[in-house]
Amino acid sequence: MSTPVGNEDPAVIDVTGLTKEFGRTVALQGASLTVARGEIVVLLGLSGSGKSTLLRHLDGLETPTSGSVRVLGQEVPRLSGRRLRALRSRMGFVFQQFDLVPSLTVLENVLTGALSELRGPRIGLWSYPRRLKLAALGHLDRVGLLDRAYQRADTLSGGQQQRVAIARALMQNPEILLADEPVASLDPESSEQVMSLIREIAMDEGLTVVCSLHQVDLALSWGDRIVGLRHGEVVLDTPAEGLSKAEVMEIYGRVATSTTELEAIEVELADAATDAASEPRLADGALRS
Amino acid sequence: MSLATATPPAPSAPPPSSPSTIAERAPRRRVSPERIAAILTLGAIVVASVIALADSGISIPSMIESWGNAERFFARVGTITFPEPGELLYLTALTIGLVLCGTLLAAVISVPVAYLAASNTTPGRGWQAFGRFVTVLTRAIPDVVLAMVFVLMFSLGSLPGILAIGIHSVGMISKLFADAIEQIDEGPRLAIRAAGGSKLQEFTSGILPQVLPSWVATVLHRNDINLRGSVVLGYVGVVGLGMEMSFAFKSLNYSEGLGIALVMFALCVVMEIVSSVVRQAMLGGTPSGRGLGDRVVRGVQNARARGRATAVPAAPRPASGGDLEAALRRPWDAVRIRNTIWGWVALAVVIGSVLVCNIQWGDLVTFWAKIPAIAVQFWPPSFGNYDAATMFGAMAQTIGIALAATLLAFVVSVFVGSLAARNVAPNGTVRTSMRLLLVVIRGIPEVILAIVLIVITGLGSQAGTLALAFGGIGLLGKLIADSFEEVKSGPERALRATGANRGQVYASATLPQGTRALIGHSFYLLDTNIRAATILGIVGGGGIGYYLLNAGQGSNYAVVTAIVLMILVTVLIVEGIAMWMRRVFR
Repeated sequence: MSTPVGNEDPAVIDVTGLTKEFGRTVALQGASLTVARGEIVVLLGLSGSGKSTLLRHLDGLETPTSGSVRVLGQEVPRLSGRRLRALRSRMGFVFQQFDLVPSLTVLENVLTGALSELRGPRIGLWSYPRRLKLAALGHLDRVGLLDRAYQRADTLSGGQQQRVAIARALMQNPEILLADEPVASLDPESSEQVMSLIREIAMDEGLTVVCSLHQVDLALSWGDRIVGLRHGEVVLDTPAEGLSKAEVMEIYGRVATSTTELEAIEVELADAATDAASEPRLADGALRS
Repeated sequence: MSLATATPPAPSAPPPSSPSTIAERAPRRRVSPERIAAILTLGAIVVASVIALADSGISIPSMIESWGNAERFFARVGTITFPEPGELLYLTALTIGLVLCGTLLAAVISVPVAYLAASNTTPGRGWQAFGRFVTVLTRAIPDVVLAMVFVLMFSLGSLPGILAIGIHSVGMISKLFADAIEQIDEGPRLAIRAAGGSKLQEFTSGILPQVLPSWVATVLHRNDINLRGSVVLGYVGVVGLGMEMSFAFKSLNYSEGLGIALVMFALCVVMEIVSSVVRQAMLGGTPSGRGLGDRVVRGVQNARARGRATAVPAAPRPASGGDLEAALRRPWDAVRIRNTIWGWVALAVVIGSVLVCNIQWGDLVTFWAKIPAIAVQFWPPSFGNYDAATMFGAMAQTIGIALAATLLAFVVSVFVGSLAARNVAPNGTVRTSMRLLLVVIRGIPEVILAIVLIVITGLGSQAGTLALAFGGIGLLGKLIADSFEEVKSGPERALRATGANRGQVYASATLPQGTRALIGHSFYLLDTNIRAATILGIVGGGGIGYYLLNAGQGSNYAVVTAIVLMILVTVLIVEGIAMWMRRVFR
């Protein structure tokens, strides 16, 4: 993986002893994580295990209670204003609920990814430079949605909206891609499309990816490295290759005695993690093919 | 649904071993002191309203008697006449232009005010307090008072009216706009923050597109209100149809006065239809409102839908593939053509409004110099030649009008509004006719009704009370009907299943669920009526407004200040009580 000119710091992400408390609940408890450039890391865990909170700290969307968060050689909690925005613009973020502006066109939604390199507010397609519009159309073509450029974002299906959100992240020319449960609200077919798209783009661009997931099968088949979180602590950190599902299950404090129980645990995992979403669950092994 | 948490149901009955009776074991009912205070206040307000109503001299015999007056009055009017067509057209254009300019001014000012006042966008607590203060203050000062002051500062023309409407409307628009901002989906905004966007960019790209529809709807709604209110502005010297009407009535030219009133009424109806069409065009979809305009739009849409069987406009799509240059040209599909046309029409209307108002822009520069001289005349406040008892009495009369009108409107509205609710009305015919009745009532501007009533029954609070009560039925009846339709249908179904009759279901399931909304809406009406009652005096409906107009026309500006302060304090107190009630009975 050829890396663009970067910092002498070999680790693009270096989190040590990160603790975050929301009032009396502890979301993260001394979590540590180091990610090298070009790695594709999956954060695995139940809902409430701290995956989202960890991701949000990387982008400076949360301030830690204690601990250090270094991203691209900069201590994130110390940054603010213009310098924080500059760092954020080097990281793409894909959200579970896509978070497109429903009433804007697909193209304008993609263009909002470039706001950090523009000064001042932008309203309407005409207010973006032609150069960026061409780039945005290129990214839309990349995710296979060029023909939808001028439709309203809310006329698209969930999977299509998530692909638009990926195009929006690409608009930032990011070095790191953060994804928070990117397919938890999608049906199996769209999930597969979105996950392979992220993987493909990450390989092509040499992106560093940190993606949170709750489906064990998906995590094992998709990631290079699995980081398991439980109650805000990192309890597993190992290459995905050769890792078995039973080993993963152990990190949740359960020992699988039979296949039926394994399946039951997995159903529970899926249920707990996507309480809010009413979409059909990702079928077992849908991505193994 | 997890496997681990499946537990047998817990026993629900307490241990039966205790020897005491059920009455002793039952927990005491607790009511918080605040709730008791609120209930007592509510009771006091109701008693005051009943007394005010008894004092107002409204009685069935006197109404029948005044019907005789009405017949004599209309006999004297003879035929209704209108100003010359050319003049009428100019006055109509001027009135609409002035109101539009004022509303647009408010719409622009309300964006930063709402940004400061909304809890999720405000830069800090201090800024938020400032934003809310502006919202409350601009709403509390009646536009008529502002117009009176501005008429003094500017050479005659449209500017006083525009500024009065513009400043007064900021309160309502920015309050509703701030509410809309607080209810947005935070996701898109967070996404823009995560991409490195600035605070301003978060607002313009992440929040504004989400709240634009509600902002447009609010502005259009406010425009309708302002058009109705523009009649009164004419009485204090703002140009337009209202001023012509006041001249006609003052010179006892009833035929022309009524003619202009009729034109004004037609204008209000047309404007409501137009704003509904615009809302529909800008926001898409079928209007869900039950106003006159929304009904018309729905009717037309249904007729059109029946006309064409299958009309699926296939949106032309840019060619997929590498030809990005081609994709850069946005295709002219139906949506884009429609949006562009609407955009140009809106721009033309705005430019036309500004032109027809013939704004003396120079005044905006020169009036600053006049402020110190005028401010001195307004300060310190005093009651001048009047004694304090007279003034407080007049203020009390205004409050009495508002209370009596609210009570009257409440009693009738509960009846009409209930029957207009789908889940209460015995059949569709009753519901539809009640809904229609409410729509017709809302169509008639209160001020015009008051003026006509005053001409018929003579000056005094009776006409004012009746006019406000009548208008109140239109508003409160609709709100009650809507709230009743929104209650949960489960309890109603459950009661019907026990064999309860229609009245019992209404009393035990519908009404209890709707009580909070009933109290909230009634206080909203009282709030509105207090403001309206001060204005009614200006057209001769009794109360403090009469003294306000007198003081303004007699150049006793210190008295104007004193009266405005009284109005301000009253409005703020009522608003405070209303907010408290809504909170306690939430």
